[in-house]
Order: sequence, then structure tokens, then C-alpha cells
Amino acid sequence: MTFEAKIGNAEDLKTIISSISTLVEEANFVATSEGITFRGMDPSHVALIDISWPNTAFERYECDSENNFGVRIEEFSKIVKRAEKKDGIEISISEQNQMLITIGKNRKYKIRLIESSATETPLPKITFDSKITLSSSKLQKMLGDVQVISDYLTIRTDGSKAYFSGKGDSGEVEVGVEETKVHSTPRTKPTDKAPTEEKPELPPPDKADGGQIKVRTGETDVEDDSIEIYSKEDSTGAYSLEYLNPVVKAVGNSGGKITCEFSSAKPLRVEFKVANMGRIHFYLAPRVES
Amino acid sequence: MGLNIKELVTREKTNLESFATKIVAIDAYNAIYQFLSTIRGADGLYLTDSEGRATSHLSGLLYRNVNFLSIGIKPVYVFDGKPPSLKTAEIERRKQIKKDATVKFENAMARGDLKDARKFAQQTTSLKDDMIQDSKRLLEHFGIPYIDAPSEGEATAAHLTNTGHAFASASQDFDSVLFGAKRLVRNFTNSGRRRIPNRNAYVDVEPEIIQVKKTLENLELTREELVDVGILIGTDFNPSGFERVGPKTALKMIKQHSKLEEIPQIQEHLHDIDYNQIRNIFLNPNVADVDEIIFQDVNYEAITKYLVDERSFSSDRVKLTLGRLKKALDTKSHNLDQWFK
Repeated sequence: MTFEAKIGNAEDLKTIISSISTLVEEANFVATSEGITFRGMDPSHVALIDISWPNTAFERYECDSENNFGVRIEEFSKIVKRAEKKDGIEISISEQNQMLITIGKNRKYKIRLIESSATETPLPKITFDSKITLSSSKLQKMLGDVQVISDYLTIRTDGSKAYFSGKGDSGEVEVGVEETKVHSTPRTKPTDKAPTEEKPELPPPDKADGGQIKVRTGETDVEDDSIEIYSKEDSTGAYSLEYLNPVVKAVGNSGGKITCEFSSAKPLRVEFKVANMGRIHFYLAPRVES
Repeated sequence: MGLNIKELVTREKTNLESFATKIVAIDAYNAIYQFLSTIRGADGLYLTDSEGRATSHLSGLLYRNVNFLSIGIKPVYVFDGKPPSLKTAEIERRKQIKKDATVKFENAMARGDLKDARKFAQQTTSLKDDMIQDSKRLLEHFGIPYIDAPSEGEATAAHLTNTGHAFASASQDFDSVLFGAKRLVRNFTNSGRRRIPNRNAYVDVEPEIIQVKKTLENLELTREELVDVGILIGTDFNPSGFERVGPKTALKMIKQHSKLEEIPQIQEHLHDIDYNQIRNIFLNPNVADVDEIIFQDVNYEAITKYLVDERSFSSDRVKLTLGRLKKALDTKSHNLDQWFK
């Protein structure tokens, strides 16, 4: 058996691991020739993470048969955090049930793998009536708005509008968003050439300006803050922020668009598409209204 | 008391949260006995109501179950039925200990030695029929199911883990391992901070899980062989075991000879005990079969009425505790399981 994967950018791996660490202490990964997948739930089965990390996202990827490997997420995370942004990380599995992790060229770690539990996690079978796509910073901002009042978030769609609201001991909050009406000139179209490493021309720092406005120079700086809202049927669902916040924070920092899909009183699915590393699906059971 | 195979089994640390959504079959006598012996006033005596009746068991059941249900654990209590006749010697032995402890307690009180009094008072703990009735009544108000086992409660609890009705059985005694429980949790009903007896210090008691399959694999024994190891060390049905045979020696003997009949050193005394009968108690125990374990809603009003009006619990504490439970249950998220079907 051979399994070796080289990740060009340590941040991708950090993101994956920190998203998983919001739910479980021990993680079982499955590596096949197609790529690496992970699926797991928190102990009380309220939330589920389903990650698919295709081989194309790796700088180098070799896997000739299916490999299951389990790690203690905290141990793995500590090591990966030693890597700096630009460092590449290489992981492979040895015959002795160990994972070899090489950071950069010459920092080598070996950690013991744990016995991977055999239980397979299914995916919830649901259809979604409503769909909201927005930037991760916008979502984080709205979750923050609701969090100061409430431990849970209620999302409601109404045509091309959506409302993020919450209730708590101290009062109530509602944040409304509307679909950005720019469908004829979609922002995701050509003008936004694929993000390159081109250095944006930074304007001279101006202290007096307080830095409150992001200067829109090179495309890499422009945040796509378009919002798409689609509702086949207007829906209302309530979800615990205790579960939602950490994962949005963990993945959110790597930018990208986030899609929230849900139906009334059914689980929420949040899709994170991050840079070039495939996708993370986060499922969250609805809160019981009683 | 109980079986001394602690050092032989494979124990893994765990936490209560990992039992969320799971059914755990609790050895009721074992848990209630623990409440009675550890939940005591400063004088070392039971907590009591206005009529002088013990309420330590009710206090334990109240706080523990609120905790379990808040986390989402589904407890089912299994009560002992008629003990196997072979247990008579052990039961007599326990009675004698209690009798002695009662005398020692009274002496200590007469001397004014409160520390000793507290210690001996604990040893006098005995589980009375009315306490069992109290406990069942409180469980009913909680909507928590209980099962009356025909014989040993642990045996039925272990059986439920194998029929798939329960995820694990919970008891302090290792007998459950011999009864073949798939998973045994210890420190389930007493996890948390606990005072070390007679010392001014605390320890954190954490739940631990024992997977019988893993234990057997690690010891390289079959369950039948492990039962024989147990008999060598001493079980509730032959409390004294064999002279000068501890866990290590017992394990060595069985590994070498694989069963009691083949161990030359013990043949002289082997026939003093009914070892085939003991094996049978563990391997083919008399157990209750259940169809479905059904949980009902918590009846907050009935709990309050019973504990406050009838058993002199502080109204504020009960209100606060149940308020905590209500909040946890009301704000609980569904789990995803119902969407997997």
C-alpha cells in the first residue's frame, strides 16, 4: 500500500483540521485514489461534517488502495500549526501504523495512528427548499449580530429576501438581507480572473483615513459581496449557534463563498468551497421549538 | 465484594457526553446503594425527611437523572430480583459487616469520635424495600423506564447490551464483564468531583468504559476462561476464592491450564464449591427479555410534589434543578438520526 500526499499550502490543511476539531476528538480519514474524505458527527449527533478533498487539490497525490487512518485531532492539529503559511506539508502512512508528517523540507514528525472505528456515518436524506449564497465575511457578521442576543439562529426566507433572527433573555434581533440585483452582470464572471499571485498596488498608508475602507485595487482585494437567495418554498429553521459559529469561524477565514441550504424544521446544510481544496459540508439538526 | 479483576480488564477513559442519545442500562441496586453510602449529612447519617425516612437515594436519583437527561442520555434502571441461592454466603457476610459496623458506629458516637462515626455509618448502608419503592416512584415521575430483573440486575443489564436494546451497562462491579456485557461503564452514576473519605481532599471521578471484546483480546482469553479466572479470585458466589490466588496468579493458571479442572494446585479444594453452577450463573444467567424500552415525558409537577411535599426537599433547590432540566430539554437540538432513515 502506498499513500503519500503533498499539500502545497499548509493553510488548507489547517482549515480542514480546525473544521473537524469543532465536532470530534478523533477523526477517521479515508484515502482512495480519488482523494481524501472525512465524515463524522459530534457525540450527540447534532452536527455532521462531510469533507471531500479531491486529489487535484494536492501538489502531489499517490494512493494505490483504500487507506483508513485515524488520528487524535488535537495532536495532529498541534503539529500542523507548526507550519507557516508558505510551507508545504507532506503526509504519508507507514507500515507501523504511524503517520509521517513533513513540514517544509526537513521538519519531520511521526505520530501514532489510532484504531479507526468501523461505524460508518450516513448522510441525512433531505431536500432543500431554500438556498442562500453569500460571502463568508457577510455570514460571520450576521451570525455575530444575532449572537449578542441569542444562542440560536432562526433563518427565514421570503422570496428574494432572507432574515437572520434570534431571541434571548435580553430581547430580540433581526437582520435582513436581500438578493443583490445584479444578475445581468454577474460578478463571478470573467472580469474576475482566477485569483493570481499578482501583487495589488497598495496605496500609501494613510493613517488619517483610519483604514475604514478597503481600497479596491487589484481583484484579489475585492470581496465579492453579492448575495443570492433562492426559495422554492419560503422556509423557517432554527439552529444552534453553539455548533454553527465555531465551524464558520474555522473555515471562514479562508474566504470563499458559503451556501446555506435548508427547509422548514429540517437540518441546515452549509457548504464551504475553499480555494482549491474541494468542499466541506456541514449539517446541523434544527432546534426543537417547544 | 464484587469481583477483583480491575487490573485485568482494559479500561478506557471516557466522558458522560459520549453517551448522549444512547440507552444505558444501569445496575439500579448498585447505583442506589452508592447514593445511600455517599450522600450523607455532616454527622455521617442519611439525609432524611420530616418523618425521619432516608432521602439520600432520592437526592442522588434527582441530580443524576437531571444530569443524564440534560445531556441527552437515556438511562434505564435494572433492579435485582431474587439472588441466586449460591449468593447466600456473600449476603450473610455483608450482613455481618453491617452488624459489626453498627456496633462500631455506636461506640464511636459514644466516644464522640465523629470521623470514625462517619466512616462506620457508611458501612452500615443497607438497601431497604421502601427505598426501592421510593426510587421507582421517582423514576416514573421522570418518565425513565425501569426493569425488574428475575435475578441479578447486572445480568439483565449485560443482556440488554447484547440484544441491542442498550449501548452499555453501568455498574461499579466488574461482574458485568463476566456476565458478558458488550460495554461496561464504571463511575457512570458517580462521576464528578468527589471527596476522598476521611481526608480533606477531592478527586475527579471520570467515567471509564470497558469493552469486553477488547479485554478478552488483550488477555487472550475466551469468556469461559475469564469466568474461570473470576472463580479462582472469588466471586459473589464463592467470595473467598482460592487461597493465595490473586488476579495475576489466576490469570497465569488459566493461561497455562485453560480451565479449573486442569489446574493441579487447586484440585484439593475445587470440589468445595459448586463451580459448574457458578459458571452457569455467569454464562447462562436468568435474565429478563424486553420488547422495547419506552421513555415518557418528564412530569415536573409530580416530581416537585413528591420531593417537596412528601419528602421535605427544599422547594427552591428542586425548582432550580428542574428548571435546569427543562431549559436543557426545551432548547435541545434534534439530532440528525431521524433524517438518516
